[in-house]
Amino acid sequence: MNRKRLFFPALFCLSVVLLSSCSGGNGSVYRQSKALMDTYVTVTVVSPSKDKAERAVQDAFSTIERFGDLINFFSDRSELSKINRNAGIAPVKVSAPTLDVVEKSLYVARESEGAFDPTIGPEIHMWDFHKKIKPSDSDIREKLPLVDYRNVVVDKKNSTVFLKKKGMMLDLGGIAKGYGADLAVGALKRDGIRAGIVAVAGDIKTFGLKPDGSPWNVGIENPRQKNASDEIMATIRLSDEAISTSGDYQRFFILDGRRYHHLLDPKTGHPAMFCRSVSVITDKGVFTDSLATAVFILGPERGMKLLQKLGMNGVIVDAKGNIHITPGLKGKLTIEKDH
Amino acid sequence: MADRLLFLVLLIGSVAGIFIARDALPQATGVVIDVAGKPAYNFPIDVNRTVTLHGPYGKMVVEIRDRKVRMKEAHCPNLLCVKEGWISKGVIVCLPNKVVITVGGGTAGPKGVDAITR
Amino acid sequence: MQLQDKYRVALLSAYALALYGFEALLPTPIPWLRLGLANIITVVALMLYGFRTAMMVTLIRIILASIFTGTFLGPAFMLSFSGGVLSTAAMGAVFLLTRNLFGPVGLSIIGALFHNLAQLTLAYFLFIQRIEAVLIISPVIILIGTLTGLTNGVISELLIRNILKKKDGTLQNVH
Repeated sequence: MNRKRLFFPALFCLSVVLLSSCSGGNGSVYRQSKALMDTYVTVTVVSPSKDKAERAVQDAFSTIERFGDLINFFSDRSELSKINRNAGIAPVKVSAPTLDVVEKSLYVARESEGAFDPTIGPEIHMWDFHKKIKPSDSDIREKLPLVDYRNVVVDKKNSTVFLKKKGMMLDLGGIAKGYGADLAVGALKRDGIRAGIVAVAGDIKTFGLKPDGSPWNVGIENPRQKNASDEIMATIRLSDEAISTSGDYQRFFILDGRRYHHLLDPKTGHPAMFCRSVSVITDKGVFTDSLATAVFILGPERGMKLLQKLGMNGVIVDAKGNIHITPGLKGKLTIEKDH
Repeated sequence: MADRLLFLVLLIGSVAGIFIARDALPQATGVVIDVAGKPAYNFPIDVNRTVTLHGPYGKMVVEIRDRKVRMKEAHCPNLLCVKEGWISKGVIVCLPNKVVITVGGGTAGPKGVDAITR
Repeated sequence: MQLQDKYRVALLSAYALALYGFEALLPTPIPWLRLGLANIITVVALMLYGFRTAMMVTLIRIILASIFTGTFLGPAFMLSFSGGVLSTAAMGAVFLLTRNLFGPVGLSIIGALFHNLAQLTLAYFLFIQRIEAVLIISPVIILIGTLTGLTNGVISELLIRNILKKKDGTLQNVH
């Protein structure tokens, strides 16, 4: 008789428990955004406790803020500005993160044979995409000799960076956001967070899995979005991977029927014309950010070769709107129906 | 009699379960269509569209309109999925075709994704 | 098995198949409303003739029905089979362990419950890998199962009383 007494309440409790615990005991998802590094940063974490999540998110934000201060092109106090001011004069001692990101930018420049070049500073800062100002062809030609990553000297032992020619300028805009995302994820992990996303503008780094055990869904923006409904061209499922996108729609203006955008070919100083958008996927944000730019400049064929050489994945939308995908993305990428 | 008790418990339990399930579902923000157990399509709920799929039992047409979803057309033997009609939260299942349409928010942000790379 | 038992199993299986066929002819305006009329035979068989008979009748009915409808070894068959086996096993276990606690109504409800649980579990692993989807539809499924279990159970009880009356004019304790 006692077995019966226990049976019903047990059954009832079991069914109630099963029904109410939909997402499992792994934690809930918390998300917070903040304006940092001249852009919008969104941190998503999975955590069993709100306090833990709050603390981790704040740590992530301050990590990004500190790094942003080091490499802020527009601030005189940043280490980056100090390097640029001393171009052609003397090596500048910098802190470890700055040294690291400069070294990585040179690595990508070498691997892409100059398609990505952090010394693009002098060229890109002649353009104003808000005021629709474009430098003249002779201005562009004049500054071109200053763009050469091989003239950057990094002394690892003394932790210095030296720009050999006067007038050279480092601009880390094409790599800093990805690097910042990596640093932020490191901070989250040190705080005990096991899954989440750090999105510095469109440079995204994911780690771990969602509470229901599935990977994170990241949408890739449609480079020719016409209205709110076709904003996303494809979705990709990621876990412990980063993704960045370079596109001709991010900073641009149209003049006399031609599109001028911010992804300049370091060899010519003019906007590269082979692609509309490139998304690169690999384990670190510092590489997805810089290689998205490099592959964009190189175009679909050479860009694909570079990705395959480096063992990375990517989605290229070429100038005609055709989509090229690396084979490693099979099963992870879902392209929206109308593309 | 034990019979009656059992009946009552299950009756009340399942009815309660229906209400709990209904409320436990968050506002739908995305529609996920699984084919053969794997997510194949991921759409936001606030965009009207029709999706055509193919399964072992032929063509299926899923319609998303006014934040509701239905299986508009299918050729499976029992058409239970079509008879389900419009749902704004929950699931539609076509077992023979191995298709599951899930309408729910979960952890997805707006537009059915957790982040957008631009 | 004795010859008489074999005849009995064959006869009961035939009845079960007939009920299944009859049910298939009924119009179903409401989807998922599987009446499971054949389970009446299973319950009767269990209470009057024992677990072995009941299980054999169930197995024969499910397998033959799927062969006749051409769905043998298909997804519907898998669900039917697992549901039938588990529900009969559960009813048998409860009946054998708790003798007089449940009547045909209670057993029938238990059978229906386990039938549903087996189906939901199998559907999850083989077809729908989303646990939220399964958890959301399960209360409805279980509710319907409980109600049909009740009606089937009542019919089973009537049948059993009838059969026992015919046997020797007085109601007897089963087995």
